[in-house]
Amino acid sequence: MPVGRITQRSLSDTTLRGLQANLTSLQKLQNELSSGHRISKPSDDPSGTASAMMLSSQKAANAQYLRNIGFANSRLQTTDTTLQALSSQLQSARDLLVQSRNASLNTESMTALSQSVAQIRNEVINLYNTRYLDRPVFGGTVAGSYAVDPSTGTYLGDDQPVMTRISSDSTIRMDVKGTDVGANTVPGVLDQLATNISGTGATDADLTALDTALSQVAQALGDIGARESRVSDADTVVSSHQVDLTERISENVDIDLPETIMNLQTQQVAYQSALGAASRILQRSLVDFLS
Amino acid sequence: MSGFSSLNTGIRGLSAAQRAMSVAGQNVVNANTEGYSRQRVELATAGTTSSATFFTGGQPVLSGVSVESITRIRDSFLESLRAAAGGRQSALTVEASSLKAAQQLLSEPTSTGLQSTLDAFYSSWHDLSLTPTDDAAGAVVLQRAAAVTDRLHSLAANLSDEWMTTRTALDNIISEANQAASDLAELNAQIQSNVVGGRTANDLIDRRDVLVRELASLVGATAQPGEDGQVSVSVGGVTIVSESQAHELTLSGAPDIDSVSTNPPTVLWNSTAVPVDSGEAAGYLAAIGTDLPDMKTELDGVATALRDAVNNVHQTGYTRTGATGTDFFTGTDASSLEVVPTAPDELAVASASGIVDGSIASAIGDLASDEASSAALSGGTGASELWRQLTTALGVRVQSLESAVAVQDSVVAAADDAVQSSAGVNLDEEMTNMLLYQRAYQASARVITTVDQMLDTLINRTGLVGR
Repeated sequence: MPVGRITQRSLSDTTLRGLQANLTSLQKLQNELSSGHRISKPSDDPSGTASAMMLSSQKAANAQYLRNIGFANSRLQTTDTTLQALSSQLQSARDLLVQSRNASLNTESMTALSQSVAQIRNEVINLYNTRYLDRPVFGGTVAGSYAVDPSTGTYLGDDQPVMTRISSDSTIRMDVKGTDVGANTVPGVLDQLATNISGTGATDADLTALDTALSQVAQALGDIGARESRVSDADTVVSSHQVDLTERISENVDIDLPETIMNLQTQQVAYQSALGAASRILQRSLVDFLS
Repeated sequence: MSGFSSLNTGIRGLSAAQRAMSVAGQNVVNANTEGYSRQRVELATAGTTSSATFFTGGQPVLSGVSVESITRIRDSFLESLRAAAGGRQSALTVEASSLKAAQQLLSEPTSTGLQSTLDAFYSSWHDLSLTPTDDAAGAVVLQRAAAVTDRLHSLAANLSDEWMTTRTALDNIISEANQAASDLAELNAQIQSNVVGGRTANDLIDRRDVLVRELASLVGATAQPGEDGQVSVSVGGVTIVSESQAHELTLSGAPDIDSVSTNPPTVLWNSTAVPVDSGEAAGYLAAIGTDLPDMKTELDGVATALRDAVNNVHQTGYTRTGATGTDFFTGTDASSLEVVPTAPDELAVASASGIVDGSIASAIGDLASDEASSAALSGGTGASELWRQLTTALGVRVQSLESAVAVQDSVVAAADDAVQSSAGVNLDEEMTNMLLYQRAYQASARVITTVDQMLDTLINRTGLVGR
């Protein structure tokens, strides 16, 4: 701006303004460096703030999905182990059945076999009542903590799904329907078998029923395996998304250290030259040269 | 013409130089006085007859120099530009600083802001959905919900406090403006009496211009020149100072942030609303009239969106005891939002009565996503999204005000330079003037000496022939 007359006052005002501007920039840079953040309040970068808020919200949601995944994973593993134990118990019952059909056995042996089967029945009912954090894993959403009545062996479950969210767009079923693993039939079958062995002898129908139960359990094991692998896939995806989010938040909010330090250096040089110029210009006036 | 009149010429020269020297001195010592305008001695030749008459003959009468006036050098147009720019600057600075304070209240983007509190709240519902019968998980949900309402309460209360503080500040500004107006009216009277009495009123006018500038910066007043060196001052077309009469401004309207919409704060003069559009008062008015109340309304929107979304889902569920879900949140705005359930068994977590199920808890946890929130509000905007909008909008407003302030600062600086350029004291210039007048003084003294020597020749050495 062309200004005709320059006065000492306007010189000092201009100098002061320049120094003030330099100091303001220095303070901003110093703030950024000491906090490590490029955005410390919304006005520093409104759209950056919005993205940062959205990203950290997603990060919080992901952290929850990871907790859900952990929970689902343990529950499925418990179910898996239980089903394997169940399978081996059923296998033992089948072995006892086959053994009982050996004609050379005497009545005492038959009674012993029948007792073993009854023992297996109780074991199996216990397995059906396996709980994860106080919830029966084969009971669906049944109220109470039993899927199968421990004394009568009646199935109490409702086969209703127990779901949890493992990512923003997918959920997974954490339970196995009791009816899919024979919780409604197996105790009865074993009861019948025990009675038959000690009485008229095991029938073909008993064998078929046990084989059906075994294949049901095997199928459920396959299904659980597939679900476990889905959960662990989700774990990988969500975890890596989480890393990605952390990085993006950092890019958005944190300073670029080398760049900020360079800016600070440049600003310091500018400030020093402004100070130097001020000291040279403001010192002198005509008074110094008049005798 | 006699030789004696030349002596007189010399004396006049001496006194003119002395007078000029004292003006230069005045300029030098006031170089840094706020509002001082440099002064200049206007010299004129004295007593020259313009036309020769029979009696005076052809010889003009040369009777020296006279100080015609001492002029105050200040361009009133530049000064009025500077005052207006200063008013605008004050308005922007004040509005920016009060919004910056409001922005600090949000504490976003940090892990202590409302967003994180909301995220933790939603998260706790997911945890509850995993173990629907767990009292501990239910208690966490209740705690997190209380944290959300606490956060909203304190935001609303802080906004309200900020509003009150700003209103008090505006009140103080109005009192300051009234004081300045009455001082100005008094100065007007003194200036008039000086001007009418033919005395110089330069210093009084300087002081008055400082007040005009102050009034511009406080309430965006503008000055119009009047008779005898007086000015009248008006704000938005309403005259607050006319000659030696000052009129008081008052602040009326809403006493708190909640009644702004029905009773907006207004500056009154004699029950007439004064449209204040510049000066600190305008900045404060914008803050308490629109900015802060708008923020409060948006915050209330966040609270009601949260209430409705959570309630809508919660009502579809059943508690552990089989009861139908009630409202989870109650209240009509951010400051009155409260949590209804008081114990974990009042939380509606299941999708049907009599079963142990966490699907409703899970659905409430899902509200963390904008889509789910929007669906729960049948297409409305969810709380998190509204909160982000509020934060971003405020950030944008503060940012644009900050850059407007920066621009206005340079406008004011340029206007200052322009004013200084005409009215400011340049020491080099004054030194030169002092040299000039010193020489003039010396030369005038020499005129007297010379005339004296001439008279000496005439009186003492004439007629001595033959003595």
